[in-house]
Amino acid sequence: MTRLLGKTLGLLVLVVLIITSCSSGGGSSGQSAIELTDQLGRVVKLDKMPQRIISLAPQNTEILFALGLGDKVVGVTTYCNFPPEAQEKPKIGGFSTVDVEKVVSLSPDLVVAALIHEKETISQLESHGLKVLALAPKTLSEVTQAIELVGKATGTETQARRAVEDMETRMATVARLVAGLSAEGRPRVFYVVWHDPLMTAGGDTTQSELIDLAGGRNIFDDLSKYPTVDLEALLERQPQVIIAGSGHGSAQNSPLEWAKSEPRLKNTEALIQNRVFGIDADIVSRAGPRIVDGLEEMLRLIHPELAAKLKD
Amino acid sequence: MAAEVSEHSYSGQLVHSRLLYRRKRLYSIVGLLLLLVIVVGVASSLGSASVPLSTVWRLLLSWLPGVHTDSGISDTLSTIVLDIRLPRIIMAGLVGAALATAGATYQGLFRNPLADPYLIGVAQGAGLGAVVAFMLPFSVHAAGLSLVPPLAFGCGLISAGILYALARVGKTLPMTAVILAGVALGAFLSAITSFLLVNSDNLHGVLLWLMGSFTMSNWDEVHVLFPYLLAGLVLIYLYSRPLNLMQLDEEQAQQLGVNVERVKLILLLTATLITAAAVSFAGSIGFVGLIIPHAVRLVWGGDYRFLLPLSTLAGAIFLILADTLARTVISPAELPVGVVTALCGAPFFLYLLWQKKREVF
Repeated sequence: MTRLLGKTLGLLVLVVLIITSCSSGGGSSGQSAIELTDQLGRVVKLDKMPQRIISLAPQNTEILFALGLGDKVVGVTTYCNFPPEAQEKPKIGGFSTVDVEKVVSLSPDLVVAALIHEKETISQLESHGLKVLALAPKTLSEVTQAIELVGKATGTETQARRAVEDMETRMATVARLVAGLSAEGRPRVFYVVWHDPLMTAGGDTTQSELIDLAGGRNIFDDLSKYPTVDLEALLERQPQVIIAGSGHGSAQNSPLEWAKSEPRLKNTEALIQNRVFGIDADIVSRAGPRIVDGLEEMLRLIHPELAAKLKD
Repeated sequence: MAAEVSEHSYSGQLVHSRLLYRRKRLYSIVGLLLLLVIVVGVASSLGSASVPLSTVWRLLLSWLPGVHTDSGISDTLSTIVLDIRLPRIIMAGLVGAALATAGATYQGLFRNPLADPYLIGVAQGAGLGAVVAFMLPFSVHAAGLSLVPPLAFGCGLISAGILYALARVGKTLPMTAVILAGVALGAFLSAITSFLLVNSDNLHGVLLWLMGSFTMSNWDEVHVLFPYLLAGLVLIYLYSRPLNLMQLDEEQAQQLGVNVERVKLILLLTATLITAAAVSFAGSIGFVGLIIPHAVRLVWGGDYRFLLPLSTLAGAIFLILADTLARTVISPAELPVGVVTALCGAPFFLYLLWQKKREVF
């Protein structure tokens, strides 16, 4: 019943939208169909420019808003907290717990999904006739690809190009600054995801890539994903810089507070040199446009002397 | 055992066989104690950091008063062995001892082989307390202490209190009522925990904590847990004879001069206390409390005077071994210790059951 109502409502909205877009006499953009291959290798056919977009992941939301598509976003997850306007949008559930019924009821003409939705959610959404574009960037260059993909799908190629160029310029600047570092000039960095039990970021994570690009060495880059590690392994690998991700809400700073107060770390170079820092976990874990902010922040923490040369 | 307590035979042969029986079990206790010491030594020599065996032993020996064998060893190595490995091993031992002894006590009290420290909702209460501590709008880590253990402990005890009030009938405490109320209370408490978790920002961290881990164990935790555990164990051992009598029947035990209601209350409270203390530091580690007492029973029989201390020692040894595997198998990464206890403990227990079932059943 609700679904029927939703569909009817959606149809109505669609009709209204078509009428208004025709009457505005605007672009040729809405006419021809486009075919895209998304980051999960799926072929997505779009008959017209999406006007009602739903994001299933915080980094997708950030990309959409960065491309000026905020007005067309009709649904986001409960974790989408950036930009602040995104929080005003209707919620379609959590990142890993998408409420498919809610998504369908909002009758989107494009759903931007993520890797986590590969197994189940995407086919569920498609069975309801929805168009799904999946973004699954794992590296910084794949982030820029993701942004360009969204640009193509939504007729915002120009904005996407500009955003990507800005990111690439800033990445190149950081790369130039750290280019001259010797192996010893790259400090051993420990990234704290959580402190009890102790969790870090392995070599295949964005955090690890950022540490590497910012002229550091992730001491646990031989592990993958977000493993629980042994405190004694941490000590043995002699961290020179400790960076703790701080999230939101109640326990936001507890990993940092732990790293600063853990008595068994007090003989590490990081503690002796007082090089224990916090970083906004969102900008280093979300594969969105702000990942470059994360990169520059990493540089400030790992190489303050080089970061001074960044022009703000 | 039944024969032992109800018949007062003075035939020399029987006295002799009873002596033999006791001596055998006393030897077993001493043997397990020695094994525990060896296991602690071996476990301290293993770890993701490569520390030479000689260094480990020099560090461990320097721990004895008046022995100075630690000269020339770097601070890092000494921290790794003495402040990371050793407290972790001892913590695993204490928690294993607590869970196994509490499990044996619950099984005896309820006369139910499926009883374990998690059956009556105490662990779920402690888990809820831990999650609440994680979600408080402030953290006290800066002061060097965490609110998780005290809140977990408090909530564990509160749930035991609620359970007692729910299950009590007049002045008696029917064990069936305790189990029923406990199971329902446990389900209710874990539902609240799940509900809170859905809205939690650090879902992953809390979930891992709930699964049980000794990664961050330190001496402070040992110092807090040890007195609780010691007091609890002594109290439980003191009531091992009444627990034996209660295996017959509560009424018969009463007739034999056991104040059944008092024994039940004290044992229930003590087992709950040590469970809550263990869970509040280590999270819920399954399997130890259920399986260790049964394994001990299969090997050494069901006399609680021996079953309880043997379970304490076997639980400690088992959890130290499990945690050593957890931290070395995929080192420097770690497995959740609960995964190891079930993965290694279950086949071992099934083997024991298969070997002994004809003798026991």
